[in-house]
Amino acid sequence: MPNLMGKRYTCAVCEATVLVTKAGDGELTCHGQPMDVAAAKPLPSSD
Amino acid sequence: MILEMAADALGDRVAFGNLDDGLTYGELRDAAKAVARRVAGDHEHVTSVALMEPLSALVPATLFGAAWAGVTYAPLNFRQTDGQLNELLDRLQPTVVAAPHWIDEAKHDTELAFPEAPERPAILLFTSGSSAAPKAAILTHTQLMSYIMNTLEPFSAGEDEAAIVSVPPFHIAGVAAVLSSTWIGRRIVPFPHFNAQEWIETVRREGVTHATVVPTMLDRIVRVMENDPEARVPSLRNLAYGGARIHRSVLERALQLMPEVDFVNAYGLTETASTVALLGPDDHRLALYSDEPMFKKRLESVGQPIPGIEIRIIDESGAELEVDCPGEILIRGAQVSGQYVDVASKVDADGWLHTGDRGWVDLEGYLFCEGRDDDTIIRGGENISPAEVEDALLQHDAIETAAVVGLPDEEWGERIAAMLVLAPGVTELNWDNVRAFVRELVGSLKTPELFDTCDELPQTGSGKVLRRQVRDDLVAKFGE
Repeated sequence: MPNLMGKRYTCAVCEATVLVTKAGDGELTCHGQPMDVAAAKPLPSSD
Repeated sequence: MILEMAADALGDRVAFGNLDDGLTYGELRDAAKAVARRVAGDHEHVTSVALMEPLSALVPATLFGAAWAGVTYAPLNFRQTDGQLNELLDRLQPTVVAAPHWIDEAKHDTELAFPEAPERPAILLFTSGSSAAPKAAILTHTQLMSYIMNTLEPFSAGEDEAAIVSVPPFHIAGVAAVLSSTWIGRRIVPFPHFNAQEWIETVRREGVTHATVVPTMLDRIVRVMENDPEARVPSLRNLAYGGARIHRSVLERALQLMPEVDFVNAYGLTETASTVALLGPDDHRLALYSDEPMFKKRLESVGQPIPGIEIRIIDESGAELEVDCPGEILIRGAQVSGQYVDVASKVDADGWLHTGDRGWVDLEGYLFCEGRDDDTIIRGGENISPAEVEDALLQHDAIETAAVVGLPDEEWGERIAAMLVLAPGVTELNWDNVRAFVRELVGSLKTPELFDTCDELPQTGSGKVLRRQVRDDLVAKFGE
C-alpha cells in the first residue's frame, strides 16, 4: 500500500508518530502491527 | 521540510504572489535553498538570520532557508528607529541580515540535507512590548510543527484558494500565515501596506478566499463598505481576526456586511506559537442572531481551546477559579514555549504558561480576554479594567477610538485618563457631557477624570495600543 505524502501514522502501542515527507510503497509498522493514519481535527482557518 | 513537501507535491502551483507572475512552490524551494547556501557558505559563523523587510518573497525564503541552514530566523520590526534595530541586532549576534538580492539568482540545484535538531530555536520573535521592553521569545521546530500538525491537514487547500496576508512578518501571525499556508498549499497574496480600499480591490482582483486582519484593519474595511455598496468581496470565504480586542459594534457591522463569509476570532500569543483558542463561524452566527444572553455575549469571546491546548483561570493565590470569575489566563500544550533569551521562563513546573492576560471562561469553556493584567487600573482599591471604560467611551457617536490608562495619583492611587481619537468631522467635545455619558454606563468610579485627543493612537505592528506611550503622553500633559 502506498504511503501518502503528508499523512501521519501512529502506533497504537507506543504512540510513536511518523510523518511521510516522501511518498513511497510499503507498509509502516511498529510493535509488529501496521500503523494507523492520524488526521488533524479540521478547524476553521485562523491564519 | 514543510516547503520541501509542498514543492514535491504541488511544484507548479503558485505559492506566493499574483496568479500570473507569482513564485511556485518549486521556485520558492529554490529561493529558500539560495538563502541556506548563502548563510552556510558566506556566513558560516552565524547562529541567526535577521530580516528587516515588509512581506515579500524574501520572507518565506528566509524563514525556510534559515531552517535549512540550521540557524534561527529572527524577523525584526523594521519600523523601529535605527538605534532600536541596532540594539536588537546586537542581541542576536553573531547574525547576518537577509538581503533581497540573495534570492535573485536562485536556481534549481542539487539536494541539500536538513539538520536534525527539532529542539533548536527555529524562530526568535521580539514580543510587541505593549507593556514593557521587548523580550526575545524562542520557538522551537517541535512547538511550531505541533501547532501546524494538530490543526491542519497537509495539501488540503483547493487550487483556487488564496490568502491575503496583511500582518507583518515579525508578528507571530505573520510567521503562522507562511507556515500554515505552505503546509496546506494555499497561495499567499502579500499585502504589506494596509489600505482598506486597496485591500478590497486586491481581494476582488486576485480572487482571494481567505484573509487575516487585525481589528483596526477590519474597522477601516467596514467603513469603506458602508460608504460604497459596490465595495464587496464575493470571493472571500473566511476572515480571521485577532491580535487585539475588537469592538463589538465593528464586528456586528462586519458580519452584516459580509453575511456569507465565515468569521474566525483567533487568540494566541507569540509565546504559544500562534493560535490557542478560536471562535468559529457558527459561534459568530449564533451570537449575532440569538436572543440568549450567553450566546450573544460570545461575540466578545475569543472562543474555545484548539486541540492539544488546555486553559485555566487562577486567582492571585494560584487557586483555580470557577466559571465566569475573572483571573489570570494559564495555557498548557505542546505548542507552548514561554522561553526567552536571557529572561526566566513564564512556564511553571506543571507546564502552565502564565500569560499575564486577564480573563474568564463561561459555562461551555468559551474564553473571554480582558487584556493585560498590568493594564488594570487600581483606583481607591477598586480594580478597573481599561477595556470596560473604553467600551463605554466608544458607544459615544463622536468618539472613534479610545485608550484608557491610570496615571499616578496621591489620593486615589491612580486616576483615570483617556486618550481619544474623535470621529471624522468632530473638532471638539464637551468633557462634562462625555463624563456624564460614561457615568451613566459604568458608574462614577470608572469615569475618566482627564481627557486628551490625538489623530491616531500609538500602536504596535499588530494593532495593539501602546499603553506605555499613551501613559507617557498623558503624564507629559497633565503631570504625575
